[in-house]
Amino acid sequence: MAKLPVSEEKIIDQFGPHKHYPPLGGFKGVSNPDKLVKTHCCFCGMQCGIQLKVKDNKVVGFEPWKEFIFNEGRLCPKGVQRYLQNNHPDRLQTPYKRVEGVGFVPIEWEEAMSKVVSEIQRIQKQYGNDAFAMLSGVSLTNEKSYLHGKFARVALKTKNLDYNGRLCMVSAGAGNKKAFGLDRASNNWSDLKHAEVIMVAGANVSETFPTLTYPIWEARDNGAKLIVVDPRVVPFARTADLHLDLRPGTDSALFGAILKVLVDNNWIDKDFIENYTSGFEDTVASIQDHTLEWAEKVTGVSAEKIYKAAEMWGKAKTSFALHARGIEHHTKGVDNVVSMINLVLATGRIGKPYCGYATITGQGNGQGGREQGHKCDQLPGNRDIENPEHRKYIAEVWGINEADLPGKGLSAHEIIHAIHRGEIKGLLSICFNPLVSLPNSNYVREALEKLEFYVAIDFFLSETGRYADIVLAGSLHEEEDGTVTTAEGRVVRINQVVTPPGKARKDSEIIKEIARRLGSGDKFNFENSEAIFNEMRVASKGGTADYYGITYEKIEKNMGVFWPCPSLDHPGTPRLWEDRKFRTPDGKAHFNPAPYRLSAEMPDEEYPIILTTGRVVSQYLSGSQTRRIGKLVDQYPEPLLEIHPELAAKYGIQQGDLIRVKTRRGEVTLPANVVATIRKDTVFIPYHWGGCHSANLLTNDSLDPVSKIPEFKVCACKLENTKEKAPDSKLSNAYQSFSH
Amino acid sequence: MVTTEYNKNMQFFTDMQRCIGCHACEVACAECETNGQDTMIHIHYVDRANTIQTTMQVCMHCDDPVCANVCPANAIVKNANGVVLSANTSRCFGCSNCVMSCPFGVPIKKEESELMMKCNMCYDRTGAGLRPMCATVCPSNALFYGTPEDIEERRPHSTPVNKFIIGEQEIITKVNVMMPKGSTELTIH
Amino acid sequence: MAKSENTLSRSALVKAIIASVLLIILVFLGSGNFRELDAALIPYLLGVILAVFGITYRLSVWLQRPPTRLYWKRMGKLSLAHPIKFIQLLFRNLIFQKFIYSRGKDRWIGHFLMSIGCIAAFGVTIPLTFGWIGFVLKSGSLTGYEAHMFGFKAMSFQLGSFIAYMLFHVLIFCSIAVIIGAMIMLRRRMTEEGLVATQTFEGDLLPLLLIIAVAATGLGIAFDYMFLDGKVHQFMSVTHAVTVILFLLWIPFGKFIHIVQRPMQIGVNIYKMEGEKQGMAVCPLTKEEFATKMHIADLKEVTLETGFDFRLKNGDNHLNYSPEGKRSLLAKAHLKAREDAGSYFG
Repeated sequence: MAKLPVSEEKIIDQFGPHKHYPPLGGFKGVSNPDKLVKTHCCFCGMQCGIQLKVKDNKVVGFEPWKEFIFNEGRLCPKGVQRYLQNNHPDRLQTPYKRVEGVGFVPIEWEEAMSKVVSEIQRIQKQYGNDAFAMLSGVSLTNEKSYLHGKFARVALKTKNLDYNGRLCMVSAGAGNKKAFGLDRASNNWSDLKHAEVIMVAGANVSETFPTLTYPIWEARDNGAKLIVVDPRVVPFARTADLHLDLRPGTDSALFGAILKVLVDNNWIDKDFIENYTSGFEDTVASIQDHTLEWAEKVTGVSAEKIYKAAEMWGKAKTSFALHARGIEHHTKGVDNVVSMINLVLATGRIGKPYCGYATITGQGNGQGGREQGHKCDQLPGNRDIENPEHRKYIAEVWGINEADLPGKGLSAHEIIHAIHRGEIKGLLSICFNPLVSLPNSNYVREALEKLEFYVAIDFFLSETGRYADIVLAGSLHEEEDGTVTTAEGRVVRINQVVTPPGKARKDSEIIKEIARRLGSGDKFNFENSEAIFNEMRVASKGGTADYYGITYEKIEKNMGVFWPCPSLDHPGTPRLWEDRKFRTPDGKAHFNPAPYRLSAEMPDEEYPIILTTGRVVSQYLSGSQTRRIGKLVDQYPEPLLEIHPELAAKYGIQQGDLIRVKTRRGEVTLPANVVATIRKDTVFIPYHWGGCHSANLLTNDSLDPVSKIPEFKVCACKLENTKEKAPDSKLSNAYQSFSH
Repeated sequence: MVTTEYNKNMQFFTDMQRCIGCHACEVACAECETNGQDTMIHIHYVDRANTIQTTMQVCMHCDDPVCANVCPANAIVKNANGVVLSANTSRCFGCSNCVMSCPFGVPIKKEESELMMKCNMCYDRTGAGLRPMCATVCPSNALFYGTPEDIEERRPHSTPVNKFIIGEQEIITKVNVMMPKGSTELTIH
Repeated sequence: MAKSENTLSRSALVKAIIASVLLIILVFLGSGNFRELDAALIPYLLGVILAVFGITYRLSVWLQRPPTRLYWKRMGKLSLAHPIKFIQLLFRNLIFQKFIYSRGKDRWIGHFLMSIGCIAAFGVTIPLTFGWIGFVLKSGSLTGYEAHMFGFKAMSFQLGSFIAYMLFHVLIFCSIAVIIGAMIMLRRRMTEEGLVATQTFEGDLLPLLLIIAVAATGLGIAFDYMFLDGKVHQFMSVTHAVTVILFLLWIPFGKFIHIVQRPMQIGVNIYKMEGEKQGMAVCPLTKEEFATKMHIADLKEVTLETGFDFRLKNGDNHLNYSPEGKRSLLAKAHLKAREDAGSYFG
């Protein structure tokens, strides 16, 4: 039933995205604000410190927070402009209901809540509890992540809860658990400072984590060599000591070949391998055919460069390995991760100063959000929902029978499949925009149209929210207290800066109210965010992600505390594995064989070109927030197809030509950006836009068998030159995401 | 915000090869209250078809500013701290002499307003002892504002240079560009 | 930089004296050998003569600067060649000040009210002061007036007629416009934080206060005449004279000099228009048009005259590059220096 109630144009007219600019001379009160509140940026896992200026309960500007230890005032353009999401004309300020032919009509909370609850009860009665699913977001605080995990299992009584970290962190998480038995960056960024070599794979640090650039530059000033693994010359790769421009999807081949060189040249730490690891022999055996010559053919990187990388890595005394979505968004995302970790373990450079390894968390609370239990297979403290002991402990904390605690549910994209199959009929989503962020968007849209009831909690009406029956106006990052855990594993405080505008409510208030109406009010009697955090501390106690010793007061005093922090007198753990006691069952770090295998869809005669996707610096994920900020839109107004001049010449493509890109799942038409900074066999499209400009109309929804992450980074496509010139980017209005 | 004086020991250091083209400086510049949402810093690709290289350019605050010399309206002045201020709005009549003759391509002509504007080194901030907006937010320290001792410690392989050679012409500036150790000047042509 | 402004310039002094003497001669001729001069306005006359002396001196010094001189020369010629455009721009830029509108609407309203009030008021009072115009009762009539211009009768009108009302109240309207305009500008200067940070009292606030004082005391004279039967006429006329003369004398030295500099903007526009006809300069690096060829050629001259030589050994000139081209050149030179030193990074 949930098709759009009126035309897309009408919805966009009312709810945006509209570009928001500050007035000439800034907002009123920008130089005499009522207060200056220290908090963090809402975008990306760096969680840069920032101070927001408040006048009359509105955020009117910002001031760099130069004392905050990680970023010292440094910000990216998203951070500088983040304050504009507050006080935004598109902001949802009241609940709405969908009225066919009319659009979204404002209603009172009472009407909205009773409709939501009666629909949940109707669907669950008719089809069973699991027929109502919940999708959560990982830009949310630890408190909300915890609350949603508990809400879905205790109040909604469904097993089908998953989160958009499924598109982000899960391959890294699974890889880390396999190798170390614990899912967290092993080191904090200060260990970059004196690393002799830094290898960054599949992480466009300069655009996706711009503020991490400075620590890397600082290390280079101290003599570090920088190796960047990326199919494109991303900005920070331009001056790198070595740039390995590999073919997308061949990361494990590259790492396998490097490991073989390390072993063959004996650039390994035998003592470490022998005493503290397992699985080395099997792993080495699995890559015996990963010779340099073979690797050159598979990866497209010259044998000489691969050897050079191995030599730089092998001969160094200290090192830091970093990776992000570039190696994780694959059907072999976990393999890629463990194959990089194998290089770290082989050289024994972990758990010591300036010897590090980290995945760079993408979303604002990508780290914390994946520990507090709003993942389909997980309970708070990064516990396993299928482990009887873990279930027992959490059931106790929540005061329920273990038997009533649902089991493992479906992952995000599997929920979409289940809707198609008719198994899931109802959906509650919060801060998740799957219509833009999941692969194969046509398929996702059809699923949304099949739902019997869909309620979306959000602060802006996202592309996905347009398909909702009821929209509940929730809260922005700066409208509720809480904590997030940065990519380093540092738990920091998010301060409430202003109260939600109009009739909008705090997310946690909305969830608590639904829980109360579903009859579980007694389990959700939290007075404030700190009360949720305190219960979460207890729930995490003894788990791998142990927050028990962290309090609001302690965070504020120390500018953050690193988990694990098992007791109140514990200082936190900035660097893991100094004790060499890994959290795997045998207490050792694990090598994992991950020989190269093909991506799910390889180029062929019909679809001869590799398509890969990624981000630009001015936009964040599905763009639901950043496509509403005027200057960020203007910086990169519409997605462009990056293509090498040689490949372009084959199709007679010139700069600015409109190119139709087709895959087995869909097509989009985009202007060509002919640049020599990409491989000749690969094209690139950034994915922040919805509608007819969406890269995810094209991408492949094959999943990694372990992590269930979709393969955003490799699929096969073909190009058609329309022979038309692209119109002025100002006219395309791509940021508004029309479907036609 | 504690208001103090202009700190004479602080200097501006830039390094184009550290720029990652993120535009944080550009949007932050516009947040300065004196600019009225106009940005004064330049950031752009150098030759996008062939390289991802970007460059950012603040006003170099020349010792003997060409812009002030060629201004027919006498609208541009250098203040006591060596900061070359943006055109006096009541005097400037928008001739663009400064725009076209600045050797670093810094001033901007606001066509609608028939007015020249340029980077003031955030005089409202630096005049109160704060760092300029762009150099505060720059995530790569391609723009850096600090003491000479600080930069020497942070950048052991580079030397600040403030002498630029264009043909026979030598330009001395207040703002430094970080160059390979031992450099004394940067020859543009 | 601006050296000439601080030392006494003999030639400017001579020009200023000539201008002042010329003005006295014109007043002499226009007022029927001083016969039509209004004795009460003599102090104002002296103020105007001193202001003309100061302004001429200041402008002459200003025009000695190479860039200004060049512009002056070009603009004089071009303006004569484009009379229609000149008049168009006169209205757009000087009367309506469209360029201020884009800097802010309030700002434009304030400035427009202030400037139109000042211009209209001076348009009336200066010819009165010079004795160039005057109003006299028609002989033998109690209600008929005659307007005299340069000693000759220009028109006549009846007391109580619309024309009479307008003529006798124009200064009141001007004063009100000026006060409202100045108040808007003053409010802006008190509340906009960016301005508060950079303005100075004598440079920005005092001129506004002075203008308000001139208009308020002028209104005071009318108020006294209309409602107080001239009881405070003496006081009002003295304070008005003092503020007006201060205003006049201050024109050459402070912010008000822009009133006489601003017409240059008309020339700038014509210069650009004419330059576009003659052809645009294309940057060798960005391959884009960026300025008129005439402008770049003139700047090569002006920079040389002011002591900057941007000629390159290969016959090229740094000024042939657009601003973006110049920035890219610097970045490329910097990259090359890094490359030569063995690393892109350091």
